[in-house]
Amino acid sequence: MNLFRSEEHVTAWLGTRPPGVTVPVTTLSALAHAWWGDRLAPGWTPHSRQQNQAVLDGVGLTGEFWRLG
Amino acid sequence: MEPADVALRNDTYRAFVTLGRAPSADEVAAARGTTPDEVLRGWRRLHDEHALVLDAGGTQIRMANPFSAVPTAHRVRAGGRWWYANCAWDAFGVCAALHTDGRIETSCPDCGDPLAIAVEDERPEDPSLLFHCLLPARRWWDDIVFT
Repeated sequence: MNLFRSEEHVTAWLGTRPPGVTVPVTTLSALAHAWWGDRLAPGWTPHSRQQNQAVLDGVGLTGEFWRLG
Repeated sequence: MEPADVALRNDTYRAFVTLGRAPSADEVAAARGTTPDEVLRGWRRLHDEHALVLDAGGTQIRMANPFSAVPTAHRVRAGGRWWYANCAWDAFGVCAALHTDGRIETSCPDCGDPLAIAVEDERPEDPSLLFHCLLPARRWWDDIVFT
């Protein structure tokens, strides 16, 4: 899970490997803040898979690639 | 996850942020008034539940996601300290978990050029960068260190 300067750099880095999915860094930041924002909360409790899936859905990361299981 | 394990997990995370590094089982045991063996047994249950990640020996914290206990290619300046994150996603997660602005320093895996990104009000200063996720979500925990 890395950052790249451009799609050309992603393609060059992948080489012959099958690609995953590329998203804007703005989406990544929104995802990270929704996903990790409560990690240090005193009353943290584990997220269910449904909760985590809702976080992905909430930032527009939908479809088979983003299904947690 | 049992409430006692949730409490251990929360104490472990609190210690990580207070110390600025992963706590040892001895340190967490001393803070909780228990034994290192008891902490290690709890950490192993938390590892199995994906609430933290232990090293290969099962005795030290490798990841308290989004924080990494070992140096990585993703450094984050946040809350007056430098942190290591496990990946680009976790680098933003460090700012998110600490509820603070920050600065992420990493590099393009293709060309090796340094990439520095300020995070302000939960947004990246440079919106032109791209994030590539290689593995589908259902495979993230097959090998979380690789992911």
